[in-house]
Amino acid sequence: MTNATADRSVNRPDRTASPFAVHGTRLALIILVVLIAALGLEAVFGRTGERIATQMCVSIAAIAALAIFSGNSGIISFGHAAFMALGAYTSGILTSPAGIQRSLLPDLPTALAGWEMSIPMANIASLLVGLLFAAITGLALLRLKDASATIATLGILIIVHSVLIGARHITKGSQTFYGQPRITTFEVALLLALVMVALAYLFRESRWGLALRAVRDDETAAETLGVNARRARAIAWILSGALAAVVGAYYGHMLGAFSPKEFYFTLTFSLVAMLVIGGLTTVSGAVGGVLVVTALQDSLRQIEGGFTISGIEVPAFFGMTTVALGLLILAVIYFRPEGLFGNRELRLPVLERALVHIAPAREAAATPQHRAPGGADLVIEGLTKTFVGLTATDDLSFTIAAGRITGLIGPNGAGKSTLVNMLTGQYAPTAGTMRYGAIKLSDVASYGIAGMGIARTFQNIRLFHRLTVRENVLVAAQAAGHRGAKAEAIVVRELTAMGLQDIVSAEASSLSYGAGRKVEIARCLAMDPAILLLDEPAAGMNPDETRELGVQLLRIAAERGVGMLLIEHDLEFVNALCTHIIVLNRGKKIAEGTPAEIGGHPAVVEAYMGRARARRDNVQLTQQEITT
Amino acid sequence: MTRSITALMAGVSTLALGLPAYAADDYFIGVLSAQSGYLAPYDQPSLAGFRFCVDEINADGGINGTTPIRLDVRDTRSDTAETIKAAQELLDRSVRFIVSPADGDPTTAVGQLTVDEGIPTMTFAGTAPVLTQVGEYVFGSYPADNLQATVTAQYARELGFKTAYIVKSPDAAYTMGGPEYFAEVFTREGGEIVGESLYSLNQPDFSAIVTTIKSVNPQPDVVMTSAWEPDFPAFIKALRGAGVTSQVIGSDVLDTPTIRGLGSVVDGVIHASGGFAEEGSQHADFNARFLEATGQKADNNYYVNGCDIAYMIKTAVETAGTDDPSAVRDALASIENGDGIMSDYTFAGTERMPIRSVVVARIEDGEKIFIRRTTPDAADVPAP
Repeated sequence: MTNATADRSVNRPDRTASPFAVHGTRLALIILVVLIAALGLEAVFGRTGERIATQMCVSIAAIAALAIFSGNSGIISFGHAAFMALGAYTSGILTSPAGIQRSLLPDLPTALAGWEMSIPMANIASLLVGLLFAAITGLALLRLKDASATIATLGILIIVHSVLIGARHITKGSQTFYGQPRITTFEVALLLALVMVALAYLFRESRWGLALRAVRDDETAAETLGVNARRARAIAWILSGALAAVVGAYYGHMLGAFSPKEFYFTLTFSLVAMLVIGGLTTVSGAVGGVLVVTALQDSLRQIEGGFTISGIEVPAFFGMTTVALGLLILAVIYFRPEGLFGNRELRLPVLERALVHIAPAREAAATPQHRAPGGADLVIEGLTKTFVGLTATDDLSFTIAAGRITGLIGPNGAGKSTLVNMLTGQYAPTAGTMRYGAIKLSDVASYGIAGMGIARTFQNIRLFHRLTVRENVLVAAQAAGHRGAKAEAIVVRELTAMGLQDIVSAEASSLSYGAGRKVEIARCLAMDPAILLLDEPAAGMNPDETRELGVQLLRIAAERGVGMLLIEHDLEFVNALCTHIIVLNRGKKIAEGTPAEIGGHPAVVEAYMGRARARRDNVQLTQQEITT
Repeated sequence: MTRSITALMAGVSTLALGLPAYAADDYFIGVLSAQSGYLAPYDQPSLAGFRFCVDEINADGGINGTTPIRLDVRDTRSDTAETIKAAQELLDRSVRFIVSPADGDPTTAVGQLTVDEGIPTMTFAGTAPVLTQVGEYVFGSYPADNLQATVTAQYARELGFKTAYIVKSPDAAYTMGGPEYFAEVFTREGGEIVGESLYSLNQPDFSAIVTTIKSVNPQPDVVMTSAWEPDFPAFIKALRGAGVTSQVIGSDVLDTPTIRGLGSVVDGVIHASGGFAEEGSQHADFNARFLEATGQKADNNYYVNGCDIAYMIKTAVETAGTDDPSAVRDALASIENGDGIMSDYTFAGTERMPIRSVVVARIEDGEKIFIRRTTPDAADVPAP
């Protein structure tokens, strides 16, 4: 097979390093940066540096916990300060010496009083409180998306703040709460930061993190691959909230004294500001944002009280740190809207090139076995979809047979894409049934249809644009239930099958139109589908690319026995690939049969005003040509 | 990234070297003051008054006329974590005394550190009476919430008011505590609380609360609140707009030119105040000196209270006869009828929250009218 059309603009080596080795080194690099920054501060500035580093490490831990949700889901959370508050109060109440507690909180319910817990035990309690609260709030919150979810997190913050103030017997209300031991030393904070950074990174690269990033980039596409978007968000929200509660406990033990206002808008906005400055989508960005903000604020803080340098007296300028932070945020939004560290994790290119040789990627997985003939067909009966003022599909009945490439043609507005959208659960039909074997598709959730072996591509490409080509396909392999090395091997197999092995590390947003289409198909194939619904796969491709795509599709059909529904305007392409063609016009089926029957069908000729017949004579791709 | 941090570190260390070194022949005070954020309206004037009087003391040769006061002022940005960090830095630099921001959270947090190190600490204008419970080394300076509420509640009863309605906000210890202390004293003195409402800080609309007050029958004699700006202006306009004519009593936060400038709606409002610059008083003299020296009008009591703090520290060190922190603490805690500019003060017998006189004032035609000055009996003041 020739590979004339692989994207030349992205020049990469043929072989790639094992993803596990790559992620191991990237995480190690981030941890090294945190260590250097923290230990460096301590080494250079002594006790002052140690304190700056302590606060910095707690911030890193908080941001890492926040990034588990916000970074992967793309939903900025204003609610994490609330989780931190819950953790701080929980740990504070459970660890306070009984004597101090009796005098400060005389009305504390006896169930909560006098525990004098050790810090690890209190951590578990904070974690559980965070977990429980996240699970409860998640029920409501995760029905929402995007900006409305963000606003809901703000609501959570305000509610928790009010409840903490109102629960005066437990929290001392708006008055200062104190008495808990101040155990957040430099070493404790550093360890906390490293653990949280590692957890955030591992979560990001885990199947849950990857699935959520896919949902972030395109929820509909993720669901057609079998990703349960709501569950993906829920897992991240709960983990993130629980960890934020633990970080909050350490923050409380650092402050020594606090009231609900320490966990309100100021903390929220400083967390979000650090995340936005560094970059929302990566752990490197989260860590980097904290380092940059700390470096800026603490260096300016030392000089804002005024100083004398070489005999020149510089007057005090209080508020300089706040002004500088504001300017930094403006500059970042203006020059680097994705944050200082963009969408890519910190990496050492030299190291990663070396890894290609030290730890090469797995070989491709074996091609899936040819599906046995006589598998379930996708049967459509009386399918109708009406929108206000328009009947998009009108009483359609036909069969998409297993192991066969069925063509679906028709002029613009014939109802082709509406049909695919009904088959994969994006639209509910107005009337009629869709059966796959014995199962009614309308009874299955949109993300469950993928699990039955029905995959689709989209008319306008819907890739996960901030994910790499490899990750795009990996989402599907993992959603199909494959884990670890097996999933990686499937990715290699499908990228090779579509001729994409040279661009595995490219970000999807950088792909050409033709390459993007192929990634979409590779993504479907990673699910090992029985039926593949292709919505204009050749649109936007040049003739060479179209020809190559035809070769690949026929090869896949021949090797694996995948049934396909091919929607296309390019009749040459359809005629070359399909043995059975259905023609729609204005929502109605007007013809069905072999290419030859369709070509001579009067209704089809009429619908296409003769163009189809004229072109059929020029068909260049033939079945024979392709299979040799 | 690492490179830029190293560069920044190098920059900071260069600057740190440029700072003056510690000299043993002065009295070194660390000041934690919020120059931005929610505490700035209190900390900025407090710091200005404090600095002004430290300069005056130093102009006379310093403490005992021999030991000048040296200051290290740090901005806390109203952030408790920043305050702790700055406090630890000040302790590293061996300050002998710390002045902390005008609020309970940062002062309590700082107090935990300074109590351990045995460094006396005084809040600029924190008024929560629980603030000094953190330890023996932590002092208040301003008349506490419960002291103010006692004075206004007793005055209200003396005027013959029988019923009161309180409006409080749980969002701050001050806005919650003041009305509650008021209610406690007012009830104990034979009055009756006929209702209460909660509001949120920065709540834009008070019409619901005003409607509730309006529906109380008969109308309460007094409506008491510790609301500050912008809540108080919004509240009083809605209240008077609805035709409620009850006597409004507030706390010392009403002692500002913007409140007095609200016009006829605030006419007759009674409020507590830390002090009043009576003609010929030390307070009036301070205001004049401050205006002359800085060109700035000391238009609230935090300026003069800041000044009083400077003189309280001077008195304590001079009484102790040494700059030893624990001796200074003991001397400060045993001051009785100390001579203050805003008012005299007594720490002896208190939990280091001073007993000072509280002024009751009335707003009339945009002016603050002095009604009386009382020092309440300690037994009458509700427990924190």
